[in-house]
Amino acid sequence: MKRTFKKIVTAILAVAVLSTSVLTLASCGKDYTANNTAFVIGGSGPLTGDNASYGISVQNGAQLAVDQLNKGDMKFKLVMKDDEAAPENAKLNYNILYESGMQVSLGGVTSGAAEQFAKLADQDRVFTMTPSASADNVIKDMTASFRLCFGDPDQGYLAAEFIKEGGYKNIGAIYNVSDSYSSGIYQAFKSKMAELGLTYIEKTFDEENSTDFTTQAEALKDCDIIFMPFYYTEASLFAKAIVMKNSDAVLFGCDGFDGIKDLIDGVDNKIMYITPFDINSDDQQTKDFVAAYRAKYNMDPDQFAADAYDVVMVLAKALKEAGITDYTISPSEICELLIDKVTSEGFSYDGLTGKMTWDKSGACSKEPNIVELN
Amino acid sequence: MKSYFSNIKSNFKLKHYINYIAVGVALVLLTVFYYSGILKRSSADLITQMGFSIILAVSLNLVVGFLGELSLGHAGFMCVGAYIGAYLTNAISSAIPSKILVLIIAVIVGGLSASVFGFIVGLPALRLKGDYLAIVTLAFGEIVRNICKNLPFFGGALGLSTTPYGPSMFIPTFIILLIMLAVVQNLVRSKHGRAITAIRDNEIAAKSMGINVTYYKLFVFVISAFFAGVAGVIYGGFTTPILYSFFSYNYSIEILVMVVLGGMGSIGGSIISATVLTYINFVLQTKLSGDLAALKYLFYAIILIALVIYRNAPSLKKYREKFNLSNLINMIIKKFSKKEREEVGTVEWDRVPTKISTDEILSADFTVTNYKPDKPDKPDKSERP
Amino acid sequence: MSTIIDGLSLGAIYALIALGYTMVYGIAKMLNFAHGDIIMVGAYALYSTLLLGQSPVVSVLAIIISIVACVVLGVVVERFAYRPLRGATPLAVLITAIGVSYMLQSIAQLIFKAKSRPVSFSIPGTTFGIHNSTILTLVVGTVVMVALTLFVNYTKTGRAMVAVSEDRAAAELMGINSNFIISLTFAIGSALAACAAIFYLMQIPLVNPTFGAMPGIKAFTAAVIGGIGSIPGAMIGGVLLGVVEKICLSIPAIAPYTTAIEFSCLIVILLVKPTGLLGRKRREKV
Repeated sequence: MKRTFKKIVTAILAVAVLSTSVLTLASCGKDYTANNTAFVIGGSGPLTGDNASYGISVQNGAQLAVDQLNKGDMKFKLVMKDDEAAPENAKLNYNILYESGMQVSLGGVTSGAAEQFAKLADQDRVFTMTPSASADNVIKDMTASFRLCFGDPDQGYLAAEFIKEGGYKNIGAIYNVSDSYSSGIYQAFKSKMAELGLTYIEKTFDEENSTDFTTQAEALKDCDIIFMPFYYTEASLFAKAIVMKNSDAVLFGCDGFDGIKDLIDGVDNKIMYITPFDINSDDQQTKDFVAAYRAKYNMDPDQFAADAYDVVMVLAKALKEAGITDYTISPSEICELLIDKVTSEGFSYDGLTGKMTWDKSGACSKEPNIVELN
Repeated sequence: MKSYFSNIKSNFKLKHYINYIAVGVALVLLTVFYYSGILKRSSADLITQMGFSIILAVSLNLVVGFLGELSLGHAGFMCVGAYIGAYLTNAISSAIPSKILVLIIAVIVGGLSASVFGFIVGLPALRLKGDYLAIVTLAFGEIVRNICKNLPFFGGALGLSTTPYGPSMFIPTFIILLIMLAVVQNLVRSKHGRAITAIRDNEIAAKSMGINVTYYKLFVFVISAFFAGVAGVIYGGFTTPILYSFFSYNYSIEILVMVVLGGMGSIGGSIISATVLTYINFVLQTKLSGDLAALKYLFYAIILIALVIYRNAPSLKKYREKFNLSNLINMIIKKFSKKEREEVGTVEWDRVPTKISTDEILSADFTVTNYKPDKPDKPDKSERP
Repeated sequence: MSTIIDGLSLGAIYALIALGYTMVYGIAKMLNFAHGDIIMVGAYALYSTLLLGQSPVVSVLAIIISIVACVVLGVVVERFAYRPLRGATPLAVLITAIGVSYMLQSIAQLIFKAKSRPVSFSIPGTTFGIHNSTILTLVVGTVVMVALTLFVNYTKTGRAMVAVSEDRAAAELMGINSNFIISLTFAIGSALAACAAIFYLMQIPLVNPTFGAMPGIKAFTAAVIGGIGSIPGAMIGGVLLGVVEKICLSIPAIAPYTTAIEFSCLIVILLVKPTGLLGRKRREKV
């Protein structure tokens, strides 16, 4: 009998935990934005874990933009949540953000999480512009979802054309099969190369084996140019591996290479990459941004930071031009106004990552440029 | 017929039904809250997460707590269920209009395909012991994940995109949870359950008593994998895209943590600890944003270490006996009811201590050195003839 | 051929880490899941010291500091997280180890931030077409393993270790301070982890908070392949795994399935020899 009572009380406690979780979070109204004193920009990105550096850069860049905007008339507030690049955390974050008054959003940073975030935002009509999630699914079939970076396939096509124009003979390519960014670009590259009639050596690696590139370097050491559509950390490791094999191949990458400069001492090979953002650019706007970023965070900004900065600036510009001044406006109202504004003829933004325009699909069109190192 | 009911009535013990009652009450309350609009969407999603965490914890408890084999690959079964369930959902949702029917089919097929893998993993379990089996299950989980990642029709690195169900997903989740509790609790309390715990407590002795060890070991792995697969299907209906990275061994370990903190071989304990740990995660996620996010794991780790040391350290035994939940509850009960010492005289099946030091057996030290035979309760000297 | 050499050098690194796992398991009967993160701490210690400048003196200093940091950390973790649980269930200790692992990772992220930090710490040049760093890894790895075997088999302290791992109670009765021996084991295991960190950084010149996770789990696999608790087993397992990994990676068709193949090797070996290649068979009695 005693044990029975114990169990009953334990069960009651369990139910109590459930109900407190419900009651503490319950609210009566649906009007989550009523108490906002600034436009609330929500975002979800990996702030811990393997991909944390991307999320943190996005957060820093966006925060810098918000700080600068808050010196003016319109006030903004950035709330960034950690999702460790996992979709289920992005879902959780989206709900929390939506219920705490988010009005527009940066979406997710990594592709999987961004897709989940954008799907929910599209259902609720929350305007989303992701700074960095480049996979197709992030904007596909969603009217409220936009992006500011290049799409993955675009870079693959560009790269293939660039290699053709350069007239290279021995071509190699290596990509990360377990990364959607890398395989997305590579698939486009592959199809374009086939179309252009060029042959090349293909090598792969994956997440679990993304630190040791000696075998791949061995196979690719005789190439003139190696196409490497993946992120700079792995790229720098591959570069060092290829140096160990005494190869002088040109290393050619995409916007993920941004940030590689600090990691390649001892690499004399020529390195080129497609990027919208060049930290050493002579552009005054870029110079100001880099200086402000260094002053605030004591490190160099990368492309993610620049993209995020631009997203916040685009949002501010669009809000201003759409004539929205009410901080308590609901997300769905903002959303329709912003979609109209951003896709309208004549709306463009000239930012750190070039001059950008958007179409109904949500993709961004801007000019790529190619940066050379060494 | 009449005797059947009276039999049930006389044998009715609340504690046999307490888990159903708790889950059932929670389900009814939450459903009412949800449809009256009090329940926020984030809470509804949290409850779905709690639901599949409980399913995972209880099903792992079958292997770890009742069969006494350490498994670190539970997320692998979940991975199979999630991918196959989602693939099937994508394939048939255009043909079958009813979303519920699609879910039911996906749950059954996902669970069955996971149980096939459970059978495959159960085979080495017949030959391997302790930590060796643990690493094999871990290896299995990683192999499944690696293969799912490389299959093009599962979306590769991009993950498998689906159309997730809405926040009301927690209702089917809890119904599945109730069904699972019914299956698991009845299994554990049946003669099969006693055979399984007998294998845990002493495999050779069980074998010599005529228990078919091979059959029961495979059986437990299959059942456990089935429910892990079901949890995977629920996960697939809950979030999109399904990414291979979620099902790493870290997640298996997280489930194991729930089982161990809840108490091995205790279904109620698994339910509570899965709920509480999911809730702690949720609170940390809610409260810590921006730069503070890095503190999340720090807090989680500190809570985990403190809890484990408090619950297990031999030197803290005194404090543990003084301040613990059941003492607290006893105190409350004593205040409310004075006459609880009754009906001890009847033969009580469920008091037979089958939970003999599971942990010693799990320690994988199969030498005879620290083996102590199961001593019967010391008889009173006065009773001796 | 160069694939095999690369595999051997990676295998030597795995073996060094696996030795830490296997020694701790042999003596404390626990799976130290935080071992991978001790590698990470060693790598960060090396990185921080190298910030002082680029000279041979600093390099030597960095190696020493890295080893000392790991040893101190290993002993401290053992003292405060594992010792209170001595005599408790192994699963409780396992979960504490996981907690320690989370804690070390998040502390590393708080101090050094999530961004990968570059570490340039390798010996340039080649001998017979093989990179000097690779040769050094192989040579030092072999020397350390031989030294460890000699230490365990032919010194008094080493014998005491074996005694504690055989039967702690009996060893204590013979006058061995088992707490000291266990601390010493953690110290040696952590020092080996620091060595592994240094060699790993020669191949992979980047360090981030999850640096140790993957080599940690692979080395754990290696330890089990060799028979957990057995020192020569850990070496054989490590080298085997390293070579298998490199060979798989060099064949394009199966390269994406490398992890699956490695773990399948483990399963096959365990099915043939249930206690690993060199693990001792234990008789079961009732």
